[in-house]
Amino acid sequence: MSGMDLLFTWIAAGLTLAIFSFLYRDNPFYKFAEHIYVGSAAAYWFIYLWFFDVKPKLIDAWISNTGFERYILIVPAFLSFLMLLRFIPKVAWLSRWAIAFTVGMGAGLGITGAIQGYIVPQVKAGMLPLWTGQWGNSLNYIILVVSTVTTLVYFFFSKEHKGGLGFLAKVGIMFIMIAFGASFGSTIMARISLLIGRLYFLFHDWLHLV
Amino acid sequence: MKKEIPLAITFISGFLLIVALFVPHRPFGDLEQRFNDWYIIVAGFTLILGVDSLLAHHWKIIRRRQPGAFHSMALILSFIVTLVWGVWDGLKFGNPFDPASTFLRYFYTYVFVSLQATMFSLLAFFIASAAYRAFRARTSTATLLLVAAALVMLGNVPKGYLAIPPVVAITGLLLAFHFFREGQETAETTMRIVYWGTALVILVLLYPVIQFLYHNLPAVKDWIMNVPHLGAKRGILIGVALGAVAISLRIILGIERTYLR
Repeated sequence: MSGMDLLFTWIAAGLTLAIFSFLYRDNPFYKFAEHIYVGSAAAYWFIYLWFFDVKPKLIDAWISNTGFERYILIVPAFLSFLMLLRFIPKVAWLSRWAIAFTVGMGAGLGITGAIQGYIVPQVKAGMLPLWTGQWGNSLNYIILVVSTVTTLVYFFFSKEHKGGLGFLAKVGIMFIMIAFGASFGSTIMARISLLIGRLYFLFHDWLHLV
Repeated sequence: MKKEIPLAITFISGFLLIVALFVPHRPFGDLEQRFNDWYIIVAGFTLILGVDSLLAHHWKIIRRRQPGAFHSMALILSFIVTLVWGVWDGLKFGNPFDPASTFLRYFYTYVFVSLQATMFSLLAFFIASAAYRAFRARTSTATLLLVAAALVMLGNVPKGYLAIPPVVAITGLLLAFHFFREGQETAETTMRIVYWGTALVILVLLYPVIQFLYHNLPAVKDWIMNVPHLGAKRGILIGVALGAVAISLRIILGIERTYLR
């Protein structure tokens, strides 16, 4: 282990312990680590977006392309420039053009992405035979279809949940709670595996106890 | 003019993307990818606005010597150090995430990953207290949530089935006791019989349930994940997607204009 590795292991251990100190109560050590995290994460994502998105798609593309493919890049460069005009109060309203483009793109991608990525595949996957010839399979398929339909009914607020609709919504909330419980359990397991990772770092990499 | 042009830009960019979905031929065919690239570029620049807002807020705290100025100084310093380090390695190696760069080896591995992983691992503790609060709600739906969560958690760990007998036995006995007490406190005879009957059924079923879960816990966990969880999740996903389509249409058609404020 080099001197730099050792130094950064101690820095990492210090930051880890500072964050864990929040388990006792909010304190200056936690606040310090938290602010370091926010500052470094902002710079990290700044660098990440520059080197993985803006540079290859704008600067590198401008250098490598020719003709139309090169000059069309003036459009996103101009929109990006407009975005920065927010810093000049007199012409700040021009940044709305860039914002309008990102919002329009987000909305367009929202529609195409939702239809292609969720609605069509999920509806297709949900169209299951209710009788397959085997009791076990058929029961599972019936539960799958009923849980999907009743969950959708629960989120249907255009009509009051009374009578038959109310009953279906009640069945729906039961399935939703089972799904939330399962997701909750999986999330806890993911967080605990992160916790084990940090404890392993402290006891293995830092203290060499395990 | 200040509102009409942005509305037109939103309509054209959103509408062209929808056209590209239905007409996958030139000139619309490659439009989706091109617009996507432009979106990534322009959205990348919005981060500059966010960073400016963050730094300006903390700079104000330092200048006015408000409480927490030391922490704000730490934030700005950590931002500058990370940025300079990343840009320096970016110029030196062509990319700060090059395997040979010190930015990746030291900053990313020891600082960023440590901070992020520890911050998220804290949630393991707070999520446990949230579970406790949900359990205190004592409603049938909260119980369903907890039973599903407990079975998924125990089913995910290698020796989870060993915890089944004590957990299920204690829970079952407490439930049976709860129904027995409810029956005792009820004046109505029919309801008393119902409560006591429920308590009796729980006690009778306790042993077979423990036996079944002890021997089939991973299969039960898989069944929860693959059947009721998947079905409800599918319903939620379809609902969310339908909502996204509706709100996107409102934005494209100019009904929703809050982003222009």
